[in-house]
Amino acid sequence: MEDGGGRGLAQRIEVAEPGADVSWTGEKVFELRDVGVTYSGTQAVKGVSADFFSKEITALIGPSGCGKSTLLRCLNRMNDLIPGAEVEGELRYHGEDLYGPKVDPVQVRKLIGMVFQKPNPFPKSIFDNVAFGPRVLGLDNVEDRVRTALEGAALWGEVSRRLDDNAYGMSGGQQQRLCIARALAVNPDVILMDEPCSALDPISTGKIEDLMLDLKEDYSIVIVTHNMQQAARVSDRTAFLIVELDADEENRWGRMVEYDVTEKIFTNPSDQRTEDYVTGKVG
Amino acid sequence: MSRIRVHYQEELTRLEEQALGGFDLVLESLDRTIQAVESQDVELAHLVIDADDQLDGRYLEVHQGLITLLATQSPVATDLRLIAALLHVIKNVERMGDQCVNVAKLIPLVGHEPPADPRLVELIVRMGRQVGAQVSQARRAFSERNLGLAEDLVRQDDTVDDLNRECFKLALEIGDEIERREWAMTMMLAARALERAGDNTVDIGEQVAFIVTGLFREFEDASHPEWSREPPE
Repeated sequence: MEDGGGRGLAQRIEVAEPGADVSWTGEKVFELRDVGVTYSGTQAVKGVSADFFSKEITALIGPSGCGKSTLLRCLNRMNDLIPGAEVEGELRYHGEDLYGPKVDPVQVRKLIGMVFQKPNPFPKSIFDNVAFGPRVLGLDNVEDRVRTALEGAALWGEVSRRLDDNAYGMSGGQQQRLCIARALAVNPDVILMDEPCSALDPISTGKIEDLMLDLKEDYSIVIVTHNMQQAARVSDRTAFLIVELDADEENRWGRMVEYDVTEKIFTNPSDQRTEDYVTGKVG
Repeated sequence: MSRIRVHYQEELTRLEEQALGGFDLVLESLDRTIQAVESQDVELAHLVIDADDQLDGRYLEVHQGLITLLATQSPVATDLRLIAALLHVIKNVERMGDQCVNVAKLIPLVGHEPPADPRLVELIVRMGRQVGAQVSQARRAFSERNLGLAEDLVRQDDTVDDLNRECFKLALEIGDEIERREWAMTMMLAARALERAGDNTVDIGEQVAFIVTGLFREFEDASHPEWSREPPE
């Protein structure tokens, strides 16, 4: 019988907004409240408030000079090493004040490791590079730790027969994974990555990205990246920072303008500035 | 901050304009189709059938351009939604062209005899004009990203559905004579094709809403008419 038309699927399919089903009440690794950084009185980052979650990859993106690397370095007190650097606001790590008077920065950096933009192995053997941290900290079973760390960094298969070779003989991608293994060898809780793939070719980048997705089973990761597609591919949540200018355009500092589930940021961001940046309309 | 990725943005704009140009081709084809039905013009019907190649070519061109942008430019956010929507819209545009061809192919079948019931022809012509108005409205809703105009297409399309039902009633009452029944059945196929084209305009409206809001939802659901217009709580 002709029904006179009408369209539709067999049943109504309700589609939630991207990321609407993602919880914001899970276990938090970092809680930032109005965090800012000044270098010798000059503001570099201002007013950042966000929660970073356990066993997730959080990406920090934004144009050059927006303070994303500065913010990353706050998370393991690397800024302490820069003369004149001061961190303001409240930064909690598993609920404890990361900048509290009783906190030992060395212990912090053991728990919260960092991988840098350019692979920076020591001029030593592959084995000694990974064994360095456990030896300094006086940990036992160094050989087992080295093997576990190299396996964790998806490097064991490639280097197990040449552990005594100098690390400088490795490819750039291998060196970067060696640096990740070196961070893993001291049993960290968090791994911070500052542009870990910017010096690598696409194949090595792909390997590091796969590795990050494996590592988040056991570790929390915060990554700074210029490559927005990398943020889109690997991260669970993404924070977008911009460079903000004062009225007379003399002073500039970084500020977080949007922080959300990555899928939301890249399909339907809430802030026009995020939209313009991720679509590449402004730079 | 300076504007960048200018070539990418220009290409995306060009593809949208090409797709909007597809609406104009549909309007032209629909206009000829209605005329051909009204005046039983077999030659004009052939013209409609021949001209559809242009619309098919437009579909292929826009589709390929969008796939290339997806492959090379990693579009995100509004750009991604626009491209995803354009892939649907250009298909709907191409389908509306096909529905005009479907109607045009029926015209030689009904021959040169006077219509068995002129009222049925009149209803189909009214349907065609209403669908034409909806195609124009869908085009404007898309180019202006106008959610109100897009949502209004459902209301507009009720008129087409009502006319289609009227056609059906008239066809039922056409009598027992086999030739008259055959004519009425053929005219019902034409009405059905136009009714589908009307649905295509509503689909385009849904894509406009997706671009604007970031959420896809059907404006109307045939299997759950009670959900139409307002989503369930």
